[in-house]
Amino acid sequence: MAKARAIIKRLKAVRNVRKITRTMELVATARFKKAMDRAVEAAAYTRKISEIVADLSQTLSGDGASLSHPLLQQRETEKKSILLVITSNRGLCGGYNGSVLRLAQGRIRESRANGTELSVEVSGKRGIGYFKFQKIVTAASYTHFEDKPSFEQVDELASRFIESFVRGDIDRLDVAFTQFESMSRQKAVVQTLLPIGKLQDTAATAGKANVEYEFLPSPKEILEEIVPASFKARLFKCFLDAAVSEQIARMVAMKSATENADGMIRSIRAQYNRARQSQITSELSEIIGGAAALE
Amino acid sequence: MTTATANIGRVTQIIGSTFDAEFSMDKLPAIYNALKIETDVKGLKIKVTGEVQQHLGGGRVRCVALGSTDGMVRGMEVVDTGNPVSVPVGKGTLGRVFNVLGDAIDGRGDVAHDERWSIHRAPPKLEDLSSKTEMFETGIKVIDLLVPFVRGGKAGLFGGAGLGKTVILTELIARIAAAHGGYSVFAGVGERTREGNDLWLEMQEAEIGSTGRHVIEQTAMVFGQMNEPPGARLRVALTALTMAEWFRDATGADTLLFVDNIFRFSQAGSEVSALLGRMPSAVGYQPTLGTELGALQERITSTNRGAITSVQAVYVPADDPTDPAPATAFSHLDAFLYLERSIAEKGLFPAIDPLSSSSRILDPLVVGERHYKIARRVQQILQRYRELKDIIAILGIDELSEEDKLVVHRARRIERFLSQPFLVAEPFTGKKGKITPRDETIESFEELCDGKWDHLPEGAFTYVGGIKEAAEQAERMAKA
Repeated sequence: MAKARAIIKRLKAVRNVRKITRTMELVATARFKKAMDRAVEAAAYTRKISEIVADLSQTLSGDGASLSHPLLQQRETEKKSILLVITSNRGLCGGYNGSVLRLAQGRIRESRANGTELSVEVSGKRGIGYFKFQKIVTAASYTHFEDKPSFEQVDELASRFIESFVRGDIDRLDVAFTQFESMSRQKAVVQTLLPIGKLQDTAATAGKANVEYEFLPSPKEILEEIVPASFKARLFKCFLDAAVSEQIARMVAMKSATENADGMIRSIRAQYNRARQSQITSELSEIIGGAAALE
Repeated sequence: MTTATANIGRVTQIIGSTFDAEFSMDKLPAIYNALKIETDVKGLKIKVTGEVQQHLGGGRVRCVALGSTDGMVRGMEVVDTGNPVSVPVGKGTLGRVFNVLGDAIDGRGDVAHDERWSIHRAPPKLEDLSSKTEMFETGIKVIDLLVPFVRGGKAGLFGGAGLGKTVILTELIARIAAAHGGYSVFAGVGERTREGNDLWLEMQEAEIGSTGRHVIEQTAMVFGQMNEPPGARLRVALTALTMAEWFRDATGADTLLFVDNIFRFSQAGSEVSALLGRMPSAVGYQPTLGTELGALQERITSTNRGAITSVQAVYVPADDPTDPAPATAFSHLDAFLYLERSIAEKGLFPAIDPLSSSSRILDPLVVGERHYKIARRVQQILQRYRELKDIIAILGIDELSEEDKLVVHRARRIERFLSQPFLVAEPFTGKKGKITPRDETIESFEELCDGKWDHLPEGAFTYVGGIKEAAEQAERMAKA
């Protein structure tokens, strides 16, 4: 009976795991819906504001290059940069954190090879744990970005980045996160958010006819307002994307985990039945044999 | 035997491989005495030896036939030889092949011998037992590291059908006997005749070191294979053991005794047990299972005069090590190698389970502090990996913590590194057999546990000797 009991014990353990994964799957599905709505709404706004910034900066620089914003400026040399890594606070989401961290690791290695100074900031307990294990020093770490990051939280972070960029403390800001493309496609990427110009070249090539703008009260004031807003929106979008992607990754991972657990339960149960049956058979044959020997 | 004083009786009953004989009440043959039947029935020569097992009363004795009972009829004459079965011992037995009765079966005529010893003997006295404990190096990484053999001790190879018990046993013969100065005795108990023949031919080819002499010249072989009746399989191990005992007691040399397969001995006992009228015990085995095996195993020991180092294969029915036969054998052994089907299924041989296998001398006092620590570290890593396997199967490797990922990473490499190409498997694998000295083994595993070789791909670790060969294999793989 010893063997059969051990199998039962294992079966129970797997059943418990299955219960957890199944619940996580359901929870992730519910959260995913909300996160996705937020991300999709933010996407339209972010896209538009990026376009406007691109348009404006093009128009203005065409006017005689007298007007520009510090956040749009490319620096000649990159001496110091920041890498913000967005991971999740919770596990059970498959390869979600792994792929972001792998990319981040690549960026860190690259900057080490170039000899530039890179300080790593990380959001999410998973990432914090990873960097601690890899013995990579992180400049700052955040755990308060849950699956519903608020704009105020991001705003605080963004303002700090803008400030240190304008001050010249940093020359570049990269964000490693998982980009949400569609329900079935999320990709871990490293995006350069500052200086803004860097990405505008590609984002704004949706070559529309140049619109003549009238600036009131003045182009400078408008730039002053809109460029930081655009950056904040984009950073916010990164967090929103990461949140949706996390939920999708969790959904997928938990779904396959539940299926794996089901398969395992089936095979363990078959094992148990076999063990039980063979035990009955041997006991029967012992009794019958014993009885026969007595005759 | 045919003298006038011969004690003659008659067969009164034949049941399967047992028979009853009747003698006059005052001249009953003693228990374990050999009885001989030699007659012609219609031109068919019948020659059977039986061993007295029970006195039934009324002058009748019950015997186990050591040969086939085909053609025997009631009323046949039975001669009591007055002694138990005895077999020739001495140096004349070297290079020869015997059956259970000590008759040469290699077709090379009679065996020169001065002495015959009875196959039933008392085990050595407690005071004579050797108290030395020393490690016995085999050059097989997994054995030397995790299940070190004891010189003058007993090692068992447990495994289900087709996991490579016989291959490991032949490999050990090739390694130990070839490097060994003393004598070897091989007992084939209830296994395939073909394997016995292969082994015989191989021993004729294999040379001892560089002496130019062949292994067979230092070896006596005794076979009682599958085709023989249970009586023969029940006693053939004793025949071989008696020959080995002579080498130990008379020459004082280190003697090797290989038994393939000790389970068949228990099985043969169970086959005749019911015929002898004993009530079957757990799982249908004979109630005397422990006694029978104990009588055999207690004789395989090292004394102050000489040592018998024994390696025994033990078949595990239905891969269930709690089956009474292997469970009983287990308690007699110093080193215990358990072959695991899941490892064999991965194609990693020898399929020795590093966690269920154990050795009495894996102890810092015998093998040394460093060896012990590394062996335990290897086991810990593999143990953790085994615990994590279910989680990986359900959730995937990404869910593990960074520490656990590293453990899994190393465990998978260690698992592969425990495989090793065998000398006897050269013609099949095309890889040269590797003998890895113990120091190299220990160092290799230490570096592996320290993570010095984490960068090599897993495949580089399969079927190599020392760790440097793994690095070479990785280079070859990178080029290909």
